[in-house]
Amino acid sequence: MSKNKRRKTYDTLLNGITYFASSISFITLLAILIFIFGKGYKLLNIDLIAENFESQGYVADLYDYARLCNCESDIAFDEGVYYSSKWGIALADQIDLLGKNVIQIIYVNPKSPLFEIRDKGIGNEPIELRDEYHIIRIAFDNYPTALSRYGAENMINYLNANDELREIEFQTKGGGIKGSIITTLYLIALTLIIALPIGIGAAIYLNEYAPNNKFTKFLRSLIETLTGVPSIIYGLMGLAIFVPITTKLTNATGGNIISGAMTLAVILLPVIIRTTEESLKVIPDDYRQASLALGASKTQTTFKVVLPSSVPGILTATLLAIGRIIGESAALVFAIGTSIKDQVSLTGKSTSLAVHIWAMMTDEPANIELSATIAIIIVLIVVILNILIKLISSRYLKRKLGISI
Amino acid sequence: MTLTNEKAFHINQLNLYYGNKLALDNIDIDIYQKQVTALIGPSGCGKSTFLRTLNRMNDLISNCHVNGKILYNENDIYSSDSDVIDLRRRIGMVFQKPNPFPMSIYDNVAYGLRCQGVKDKAVLQKAVKKALVDAALYEEVKDRLKESALSLSGGQQQRLCIARAIAMSPDVILMDEPTSALDPIATAKIEDLINDLKKDYTIIIVTHNMQQALRVSDYTAFFLLGEIVEYGLTSELFSHPKNPKTEDYITGRFG
Repeated sequence: MSKNKRRKTYDTLLNGITYFASSISFITLLAILIFIFGKGYKLLNIDLIAENFESQGYVADLYDYARLCNCESDIAFDEGVYYSSKWGIALADQIDLLGKNVIQIIYVNPKSPLFEIRDKGIGNEPIELRDEYHIIRIAFDNYPTALSRYGAENMINYLNANDELREIEFQTKGGGIKGSIITTLYLIALTLIIALPIGIGAAIYLNEYAPNNKFTKFLRSLIETLTGVPSIIYGLMGLAIFVPITTKLTNATGGNIISGAMTLAVILLPVIIRTTEESLKVIPDDYRQASLALGASKTQTTFKVVLPSSVPGILTATLLAIGRIIGESAALVFAIGTSIKDQVSLTGKSTSLAVHIWAMMTDEPANIELSATIAIIIVLIVVILNILIKLISSRYLKRKLGISI
Repeated sequence: MTLTNEKAFHINQLNLYYGNKLALDNIDIDIYQKQVTALIGPSGCGKSTFLRTLNRMNDLISNCHVNGKILYNENDIYSSDSDVIDLRRRIGMVFQKPNPFPMSIYDNVAYGLRCQGVKDKAVLQKAVKKALVDAALYEEVKDRLKESALSLSGGQQQRLCIARAIAMSPDVILMDEPTSALDPIATAKIEDLINDLKKDYTIIIVTHNMQQALRVSDYTAFFLLGEIVEYGLTSELFSHPKNPKTEDYITGRFG
C-alpha cells in the first residue's frame, strides 16, 4: 500500500515537472508576443512596410514673384489640422514612422505661394511642396524662427504673423523599412540557393556513401562543433574572406548581400547537414535494398528513392534555415554592414530586418517602439513562410507518398 | 510434374563469413530452371543468407565475404568481371516485408525499367500492365495506378513487389519469406501466384512454413547451422526424409 502511494507521489512529481517546464516555455513565448505587440502595434501600418527609410531634406525659399494668396479652403479639415488662409497651407502634428513628433503638411492650396518654391542649394531647382512632407523650420526676416517642436498650431500663428519668409526647411517622409524587408527576402533566397545544395549533398555523402571509419566520425564531430560556434565569429570570417572575394569579383565596394548570404550559408550548413542526415537515417533500408535488387545503381537508388522520401525532412531543414537567416544579426553586422538602404542591389550595402532593429536600438535615444514593430513584421514573415512550407510539405506527402498529415 | 535437369545455379563449395564467423559452410547445391525451390530451416540457419548470395545482396554488408563458386548460367557471379547490376536485373527479389517505394503504383512497377534507361511511355505502359496482370494485381488496381502504393493492403503491396520484380523480365525470382507478414487469405493468393509464375521463372523461396514449402515447391533444401542437411524433391523430402534431423524438423520436434 505504502509502496503504491510512494509511486503515486513520484509519478505526480515527475508529471508536475513536465507540466511546469512546458508551461514555462509557453508563458515565455506568450510574454515575448505580448511585449512586441504591446510596444509595437502603434507604429504598425502599411506605410512602414512600403516607405523608404531615407528622407530627403530641403532648404527652399520663395520666388521673387510669389505673392500671398489669402485663399480660403473649401475643404473641411479634421480637428488638429491648422490652416493658414494667408499662406494657403494646412499643417498638423503627427507621429512619423520612427515614432517621432513631426509637423506634417496636410494640404497646400494650388494658389499658395508655397506651392512653387525653389531649392536654395545648387541650381535653384523648383520644388513642389507636397502634402506628405514634414516641416522642420520656417525662418522669417524680422521674426523668430518657427521650429517643428513648437507644434503645428504655433507654426501657423507664426506664418499668419508674417508676410514674407526667408527660408523653409522640410524633408520627405522617411523611416520605412521597405529596403530592409527586400534585403531580408534576398538574403533568404540567396542563402538557401547556396546552402541547400551543399548541405544536402554533404548529408547524402555522410549518410549514404561515407565509409564507417574514424575520418567520417571526425568529420561529423567537426560539423557538430560548427553548430556551436558563435555567429559573430562567422561574421568575422565573412568580413575576412567573403567580403574581399565579392569586392574583387563584383562591383561591390564593401559588405554586400552576396557576402552576407555566403556567410549565412556557412552558418546554416551544419544545421542543414544535421537535419537532412537525420531525415535520411530514418528512411527504411528496405527501400534501398528493393531498389538495388531491381538492378538500380547506388546513385540511382540515392537520387530516385532515398532523396525524394526525405523531402519532408529537407523542408524542415529549410524551415530552420529560414528562421536562422531572419534572426541572424551579429554575423551580418560584419558581413553586410549596418547601413540601412532603400535601393537594394545584390552588390550594394543594405541590411536585414534584424540588423535594422539593432540600428534602431543603437540610435540615441533607443527606439524601442519601432524595434517592436519590426519584430512584429519579422514574426509575421516567419509565420507566413512556415505556413507556406507546411502546405507545400503536406501537399507533397499527399501527392507523392499518399500520406496525409 | 515434369522435372527438367537444366540448372539455373550450380553452387560449389560456397563458404560465407560475417567477419570471422562462418555463416555458410561448404554449400554444394544445384538449382533447377523453372522449378520452385524452397529453403527451409530454423531461424539463423543461413537460408536467407544463402538466398542473398544469389543476387549478391550480401555485398551490402561490409564485413561479409564469400569464397567458393556460384555459377549462374555457367558464369561465376562472384568473379571480378561479373556485372552486379546486370545480375540483379536478371535475378529479381521479393522481401519479407512488403517494401513498395513511396511513389505511385505505376511508378513502382516502372521503376526498374526506368533505371535501365527505358523512357518510351508506350513501352513502359505495356510492361507495367503485363507485370501487374502476371502478378494478379491488375484488376484490383487498374483504376488507381496513379495513387500511392502505400495505400494498398499488405497482400496487395507484396504482389506489387512481385510485379515490380517481374517487370524487369528476370530469369529468377528470389523470395525471402514473402508471406510471413501477411494474413492467410493474402498468403493463399501469393502461393497461387507462385504456382502460376513457375512456368516462366525459376523461383527460390525461403519459408518458415513447412506446409507452404510442401504446397508450392518442387525441390526443398533443409538448412541447419549454415549447412545443407538434405536437398531433394519436395515430395520425397517430406515423405521419406533421409536424415533424422530433417525428420525431426519437419515433424515439428524442434525449430
